Amino acid sequence: MIARLSDRPSGNATPIDPATLLGQWINYDTSSRNITGLTIARRGDAVTLRIAGAPDVDWGEVALDPFSLTTAGGEAAAFRAAYDFGFARIAILAYLNKRLLVVDAYTTFHDDSGRSNYFARDHFWTR
Amino acid sequence: MRFVRAEDRLPNGDAAPGGHVDPSPMLGTWFATDKQSAGVVKMELSERDGAFVVRAFGAGSPDPIDWGEVPAIAYAKSVDSGEGMAVSAVFDFGFEESLLAAYSKGGILVLDTFNTFKDGSGRSAYFSREFFHR
Repeated sequence: MIARLSDRPSGNATPIDPATLLGQWINYDTSSRNITGLTIARRGDAVTLRIAGAPDVDWGEVALDPFSLTTAGGEAAAFRAAYDFGFARIAILAYLNKRLLVVDAYTTFHDDSGRSNYFARDHFWTR
Repeated sequence: MRFVRAEDRLPNGDAAPGGHVDPSPMLGTWFATDKQSAGVVKMELSERDGAFVVRAFGAGSPDPIDWGEVPAIAYAKSVDSGEGMAVSAVFDFGFEESLLAAYSKGGILVLDTFNTFKDGSGRSAYFSREFFHR
């Protein structure tokens, strides 16, 4: 079944290789008030994400789901992950553009603070 | 007030806007800029009975595939803004789940899709990035 033409199988699918995502990623914008850095690591068969919020808040480690560019799999080109802090939930949606990691944070608040749900984007590099 | 980054905090002295993000700036019918797209070809962002909803259409042959309508979440550019500039929604087709996340910029809607198959078909989870105009 498909929901669009790009859902069609494209030959024998291979597992997604997360190697392109692994490492320590540093924000190009040193004055960002969003995310200062990400660490993506392999833990057995799983891939994990750890985020440092600006200026220095450890968000902890969560599982990360890698995505390829087609149904054939292969090299990872993007990932998604989710943080649930109780008062806020943050969906982390990211993709690679050459060796630039573009990270979007979609935040919803679940307290009575009256803050607006908001979108934030930053760009990251790795050594 | 709890926060996990500086951007979660309200600027000094500012009152919270009340938690409602107005999706109006994003409402309308959006068409893929790529007329040969194999992904999402059209999206309708609208309000129904006060709720923000998204209806999407996938590329099909001969006709687009109507995904139906699902609830959507509107996002502002900051905690103290009430003006919608981004949206997310999840379509669950049973055999596949598609997370749609988009933001508007300069009259264009930039859509990322994160697609995961649940049917044991062996198809890989995949990502797409597409552009839309009204």
